[in-house]
Amino acid sequence: MIREQYLGHLWELLAPVPEKLRREWMYDYEEHFRVAAELGRSEEEAASELGDPRLIAKELLLNYRVDQAGIKSGSITLVSRAVFAAVSLGFFNLIFVLGPFVAILGVLIALWASAVAVALSSLMVMYEGLFGSAVTGVQASFIALALIGLGMLMGAGVHWLTRAFAKLTLQYLKFNTKVIRVKKG
Amino acid sequence: MNVQFKKGVLDLCVLALTAWEDRYGYELAVTMSSKFEVAVGSVYPLLNRLTVEGYFSTYLQESSGGPPRKYYKLTPQGHAHLMELIREWRTFSVAVDELIKEGVER
Repeated sequence: MIREQYLGHLWELLAPVPEKLRREWMYDYEEHFRVAAELGRSEEEAASELGDPRLIAKELLLNYRVDQAGIKSGSITLVSRAVFAAVSLGFFNLIFVLGPFVAILGVLIALWASAVAVALSSLMVMYEGLFGSAVTGVQASFIALALIGLGMLMGAGVHWLTRAFAKLTLQYLKFNTKVIRVKKG
Repeated sequence: MNVQFKKGVLDLCVLALTAWEDRYGYELAVTMSSKFEVAVGSVYPLLNRLTVEGYFSTYLQESSGGPPRKYYKLTPQGHAHLMELIREWRTFSVAVDELIKEGVER
């Protein structure tokens, strides 16, 4: 009964993971109960030895997230997920890791926005060239081209920065996320 | 034991346990847990990670009169990694010992 409850609970907690992988993971815990029983240990003992299924699930999910982020290197979305998984597990201090991470993320978003804004400002210059009197149509189109070029350059720069940031964060995560849960009692 | 100490050597130790013979998960989990005060439940994610990283391969083998057990086998890559870790550990522990002798036990 305890065995079924424990495994059932763990199975539900691992819901975000594809089923094939989930079965693979569960196998170890099913086997744990089985071997414990063969050695004459009770289900209670086996369960308390394993520890809280919520912690196990978090550790497994964190491994999975870091792994996923590593496969598609430089993806800021996947890296963010891994960071949140790590923080929820208590690997990192919420303020000292999540704070700077979110702050830098904010800066990157701002940079993205300014790249787009610079490129879009070419439209306003064209409008001024066609309907206004500050610049002629020919001048306006040159300025607009320059602005679009500048916007694209900035975009490329920010893209590179984003990827570099994602990679760095992932390395930091990998470096820090080894199993460190201490046995109770 | 200091958590920061432990983090670095868990990989080394679990790989070392399999250097001469393949072992099944329960065996590894219980041994690691008894030596290092880690919860048995967190050794399995560790084994899982090392398998994903290519240091272990796994296979199922019948046990005497029970359902099959999952065995962990050190791959050549895992062996190379283990040797590397052992070398690092030796350098590290020698350096620490020297400093202790110099600073504390003089």
